[in-house]
Amino acid sequence: MARRSRDEFPHPPLHAILLIATLITVYPILWVVTIALSGKQSLAIADIPAQPTVSDRIRAVIPWPEKVSMANFTSVMTDQPFGRWLVNSAIVSAATTLLGIFLAATAGYAFSRFRFPGRRTGLMSFLVSQMFPGVLTLIPLYIIVVKWLGLGSTRTGLVLVYTTTAIPFCVWMLKGYFDTIPRDLEEAAMIDGASPIVIFRRIVLPLAKPAIAVTALFSFMTGWNEFILGATLMDKETMYTAPVGLRFFVGGFQQQWGYFAAGAIIVSIPIVALFFFLQRYLVSGLTAGSVKG
Amino acid sequence: MNRAPSHRRRFGIGLALGLLLGVGLSALLLVGARRTDARVRGEREAIVTLNAFADVVERAGISGDAVRSAVASWAKAHPSVGAVRVIVLDGISLEASTEPADAGDRAAPRRLARDEKALYDRAQRLRTAVETNRQEGAPRKVEIDVERLEGGALDLARPVERDGEVVGMAEIRTGPPPSPPPFPVGTVLLYLFVPLAAYALAALIFRERRAPLAVAAFALLAGALFLFARQTLSTLEADRLATERAVAARATEEARLAPTLPGVAAAGLDPAKWDTDVFRRPRGAAAGTPPGGAERRGRNVFFGVALAALALTAFFGFGVAARLGRVLSRHHVAYFYVLPSMLAMVVLVIFPFLYGVAISFTDQTIYNTGEPLTRLWTGIDNYREILSDFSITTRAPDGSRVFNYQNFYWTLGFTIVWTVTNVAIGVSVGLFLALILNTAGLKLRPIYRVLLILPWAMPNYITSLIWKGMFHRQFGVVNQMIQIFGGRPVSWFDTPFTSFLTVLSTNGWLSFPFMMVISLGALQSIPGEIYEAARVEGASRWRQFRAITLPSLKPALIPAIIISVVWTFNMFNIIFLVSEGEPAHSTEILITQAYKFAFQQYRYGYAAAYSVIIFLILFAYGTVQNRVTRATEGI
Repeated sequence: MARRSRDEFPHPPLHAILLIATLITVYPILWVVTIALSGKQSLAIADIPAQPTVSDRIRAVIPWPEKVSMANFTSVMTDQPFGRWLVNSAIVSAATTLLGIFLAATAGYAFSRFRFPGRRTGLMSFLVSQMFPGVLTLIPLYIIVVKWLGLGSTRTGLVLVYTTTAIPFCVWMLKGYFDTIPRDLEEAAMIDGASPIVIFRRIVLPLAKPAIAVTALFSFMTGWNEFILGATLMDKETMYTAPVGLRFFVGGFQQQWGYFAAGAIIVSIPIVALFFFLQRYLVSGLTAGSVKG
Repeated sequence: MNRAPSHRRRFGIGLALGLLLGVGLSALLLVGARRTDARVRGEREAIVTLNAFADVVERAGISGDAVRSAVASWAKAHPSVGAVRVIVLDGISLEASTEPADAGDRAAPRRLARDEKALYDRAQRLRTAVETNRQEGAPRKVEIDVERLEGGALDLARPVERDGEVVGMAEIRTGPPPSPPPFPVGTVLLYLFVPLAAYALAALIFRERRAPLAVAAFALLAGALFLFARQTLSTLEADRLATERAVAARATEEARLAPTLPGVAAAGLDPAKWDTDVFRRPRGAAAGTPPGGAERRGRNVFFGVALAALALTAFFGFGVAARLGRVLSRHHVAYFYVLPSMLAMVVLVIFPFLYGVAISFTDQTIYNTGEPLTRLWTGIDNYREILSDFSITTRAPDGSRVFNYQNFYWTLGFTIVWTVTNVAIGVSVGLFLALILNTAGLKLRPIYRVLLILPWAMPNYITSLIWKGMFHRQFGVVNQMIQIFGGRPVSWFDTPFTSFLTVLSTNGWLSFPFMMVISLGALQSIPGEIYEAARVEGASRWRQFRAITLPSLKPALIPAIIISVVWTFNMFNIIFLVSEGEPAHSTEILITQAYKFAFQQYRYGYAAAYSVIIFLILFAYGTVQNRVTRATEGI
């Protein structure tokens, strides 16, 4: 690993560049933390007097609140229906995860292990469906989910839609993983007289645990982060998901930046944590998928 | 297993299933239509009764003893009506009632009790409805409130007026409805067995000859369905006439009764006015839908059902079903595993997509979603309108040039600029930072890496809203920073260029970590010995970069660029939430523009055509990209 240092750039300028880049990167996040901790609804960090001096202005861009207060966090959870929206999001995402894994694992296994008419078409249809512009399917989805199935403003409707959004990626991911599991074990079990379902449940699924964990997290993130379908299908304020609710705080004529900021932090923490756990797999999955495409 | 297939049996099964589908479905539709008709008839009769009752109440003076005696006599003459009530808003009083509960110390007249607030609210609602409709000059809110009670009885209410002013409400509750028309079991069985018997006869004659068997099966099926359809349509027509007669009879009877009631003036009684819709508009021949439309629709439905039945018969008769059955049974385990997810995909992805494509050939808007798509069919008009309009600029009346930002080619151009600049920024910043981070022995590297990935980890709708806040004209930090350096605050969303800068910086911030992570991964996989060897050979640092680093990055970077082009092209949230297309839709990308056409202008057909074009662009891109990467891999 160690190379001769005289051939390398001197480190201090590199650190300077990285420091600046990091500062720019982190600033918006510090900003939102500051607004959240300010205890106020304004999107200004500090009040600026009518005739501001340069120091007033500098104060207004330093991401540190004038007075640190947890008021925004407590009142967004108690006075505002944000707690309810979070629960909605959690239920929807969890259900999406369970349903998504079930569907993707079964389909991925079949695509990996069996050769049957329609296999290629099926696999390709999962891939092509990723290209459908969401807006085109939004109107028909609205008609199907709200008018025909009567699932408007229900979590069930949203779960169904999110699951179908998530499964193409999950199916490809799991199919790829199943492909790497040697078939000897299954063949041995088959000779012992185990049925395909038993083989799938007792042998293949336990071996695929890491890939299933990744698809689970991916499905969860799909449900947790989705905004536009949620905004279209959830009409009732009590049934909003967290993303729809956050937009509700600062969209239109609402300017409740404090609630937005506090809510944004609450929503982001779990997903950022998940992300750092997941990103290694995400990268390999995405690039692998696109090469195959 | 291998004996020759029996054409006789196949066509027999096909005919039986075709009949079952065709006749069964038609019969179900018939029963459904008859039940709807019966319900509509019940409602119309009830509305005539209600209007007549309200007329009596208005003529008897709405409040006072006169009304009570008129109502009592009216109710006596209507043993089938469950109960009636008259509410007067001024004074919140129950003027008259034949409700069993309103006896003894609760008998009318009296003030409404607290637990009867719903009654008062209903009267208020009707009064507001009348006022709204009069102000807007259009029927927007229903003026006759119809509620279906348990057991099928109706509870109707309408306003009563004195001198053109709503002063109260008349309410009636009808008796239980007559039992709905039953499923025609006998007829259906007849239509099933007669053709089958005829087919059995034909099968005896034709034996195993396929062509005559097919002709016989199809002819019998078509004949049976045709006769059944004719019978059904005439039944429905008879129902319709019976409805008209019943409604007319109801009105005549009411008109005969009204003048005999105490205190009711007979002058100017007009029974024709009582047959109204829920907006109290008379339901004359002019107001109703032309009867031909319903009949034609009925015929189309039968035609569709018959086609499906014929297809089913052919499917079984020609042995397609048998072949399919063999394939299914051989691979049943695989299909069993694939079925759930395929079903979900078909219902919620593929069908909506096809339905969207169908909508794109119509001029569907929010105002005609109730109509069948075939009625709105406009062919390729939407596509022509989108693609043939090249006038990106128009001349304003004063001669200056004005941009038409909603023009497709402007939006397409903007989308391309948006995609190219973003991917360029993402790749160059990401690669640059990755090269720095890859420096051997750099301290604090894990910390930098985690912090620099943060934008990717944040949900992008949150990022977008944060940046929107930071670009605020008055309070946003970006303008504060500009002012520190003595600049003037910028109204970011007022000109296309500055607005573009806001979305560009947001998306640049958002997208470089992905490229950085990809590049870093690729860089770390380059063995150090290669550089070692190059240095020994005396290659300059730039030359090492060109000859070693870039080629090693290519296999990882190209797929990443390909996928991020698609992402950026469709990056809905950033545009939708940060610039919102301001000013005047100049910073819309195709996908947000399609959304605006659909959900702000409610032009569903046009928006669908727009989306199909987006899909075709992406599809073409995907195909070309696929071919290019395959070609490069081949080298």
